[in-house]
Amino acid sequence: MDKEYELDLFLQTLINGILIGGILICLTIGFQLTFGVLHVIDFAVGGWTMLGGYTAYWLVTLAGIEPFISIFLVFALFLLIGRGLGPLIYRVRTSRYARPDLMALAFTFGIFLFMRGGALWLWSYNSRSVESVLSGQFLSLGPVTVPLLRLSAFIMAVLFSLGLFILLYRSRFGMAVRALAQNRDHAGLMGVDVKRISAWVYGIYTGLTASAGVLIATIYSVNPTVGIRYTLFAFFVAVLAGLGSVGGVLVAGLALGLLESYVATYIGARYSLLIVFGTLYLALLVAPKGVLGRGI
Amino acid sequence: MASKPFQNRKFIIGALLISAIGVVLAVLPAVIDPYTLRIATGALMWAGLACAWNIVGGYAGYISFGHSAFFGIGAYTTAILMQSDFGASFFVTLIPAIILSMAVAVAIGGPTMRLRGAYFAIATWAFAEMLLQLVTVLDFTGGTAGLSLPAYLNEFFFYYIMLIAAAVSFAGTWMLIEHSRFGFRIKALRDDEPAAESLGIRTNLVKVQAFAISAAITALFGCIYAYWTTYIDPHSVMGPQITDQMVVMVLLGGLGTVWGPALGAVLLWITNRYIWSTFGDTVIYLPILGVIIALVVLFLPNGLISLLIGRQRGKELISSILGKL
Repeated sequence: MDKEYELDLFLQTLINGILIGGILICLTIGFQLTFGVLHVIDFAVGGWTMLGGYTAYWLVTLAGIEPFISIFLVFALFLLIGRGLGPLIYRVRTSRYARPDLMALAFTFGIFLFMRGGALWLWSYNSRSVESVLSGQFLSLGPVTVPLLRLSAFIMAVLFSLGLFILLYRSRFGMAVRALAQNRDHAGLMGVDVKRISAWVYGIYTGLTASAGVLIATIYSVNPTVGIRYTLFAFFVAVLAGLGSVGGVLVAGLALGLLESYVATYIGARYSLLIVFGTLYLALLVAPKGVLGRGI
Repeated sequence: MASKPFQNRKFIIGALLISAIGVVLAVLPAVIDPYTLRIATGALMWAGLACAWNIVGGYAGYISFGHSAFFGIGAYTTAILMQSDFGASFFVTLIPAIILSMAVAVAIGGPTMRLRGAYFAIATWAFAEMLLQLVTVLDFTGGTAGLSLPAYLNEFFFYYIMLIAAAVSFAGTWMLIEHSRFGFRIKALRDDEPAAESLGIRTNLVKVQAFAISAAITALFGCIYAYWTTYIDPHSVMGPQITDQMVVMVLLGGLGTVWGPALGAVLLWITNRYIWSTFGDTVIYLPILGVIIALVVLFLPNGLISLLIGRQRGKELISSILGKL
């Protein structure tokens, strides 16, 4: 292997990692928002991803809608689904049970089982991938080739994350959300409709996560069992970023994308999950409160 | 209560009830057909597994999502040692399986149990997934293709072995938690860990002990299951559905109660077999589990056991078990 080729491979892996990282950011940013506001760790995060992917698959095969357009439909649809489910999550989290945090965890675990099992029942184990007009097209940038599909997915992920930041820091709604994350009781006293805002936060989160699922379905494929992997990926990014930290996700998502990409290239794709989950476990032991700080 | 457990009225009633159930279960194979016998064997397995999970999840208050790892360790140890290269007999394989699972439990339990609540749940889940991936890429575990064990087609043997293992799991929990000093230590740390620490209880040691006992029992069932089904692959013995079922069964029955886990396990297992015989498949069982757990959390957070002993008492029981927020 000559030196030039080695450098090219290194750069190519870097680009791949950054592009995957963008999608992981989109996947985890809503999850972090939910933790920050509702203090719920949602086990169903990978389930929303999977359902988003399947919805895109349906929209493409049944209605012929291009994935990069259908992503907005998926976002809107899951925004409403999450908004509908939000009050239930809120009710469990603020209940007078002995340990409402564990009960909320169990509740979302139940939702996840329902989604995973329901998907298995409906679609069996078959994988589906979503075709886009951009599939199989490349952009050559010197030594590296950038698949247009991944580049567009990355751009979409960045746009969604940017939209969330604008919503959080430049709107009255965002101010209410941040107030809620600071102190639920005080926000309520100041006239914030805590229950309604919480439900919308859950809706935004499900919308974002399902949109990430559309991007994943166009690049890889979806099957009913991928939910587990993406739940753990979201946990990974969240733990690395510090649970509830929206800003830290930007760095942590890229870090996981790069880790997966380099492991797949230099060690072997079949070891990538092993190393990713192993690193997650170690990260939890070393710094359970997050490497990059916390807070919204 | 601690000083004279055998004069305790509750203990005597419990012991009588357990013996009566034991006698019924011991003569059961004589009166049922082979198909029902298989279902009963499975019910015993899940009841025992639920009790084992309950030691950590219910009594110590640490919700583990990683117990499939121990089930898998047991199953793989038995499978590898019973293969032609070694040709060990079944009972011999139990010893290394239990030692290995306890060693792993101590090794990961120590650091992991410093985490609380959801962090602990995530960490154990990550560990179980990591082990699943490891088994999939290794050679001596057969990779994704799995392993075959020598077949021993005696349903009565497996029924009685499961019965003994379930009895160990159930009676072990009952004696250990409800009627021993160890039980008081566990309850003390669950209710208020810093206070327990200040009273001189070495909470880390107690937690790891509980985790190791729970892991050993889980692995024991893994061994028996592997021999019973004669074929294992990574997803059948280490997949998330093993842990999923244990968690849902305990939550349905009643977290941290003696009878709850067994009750939940038997009910859900019968539901599983009924669905299998009706639809020819158990895929629809998973979404049903999901709905059950969501409904239990919403409407019956203290489990089915609270219906039997009264909702208020059940609520107090679970509250005392899970501690204050």
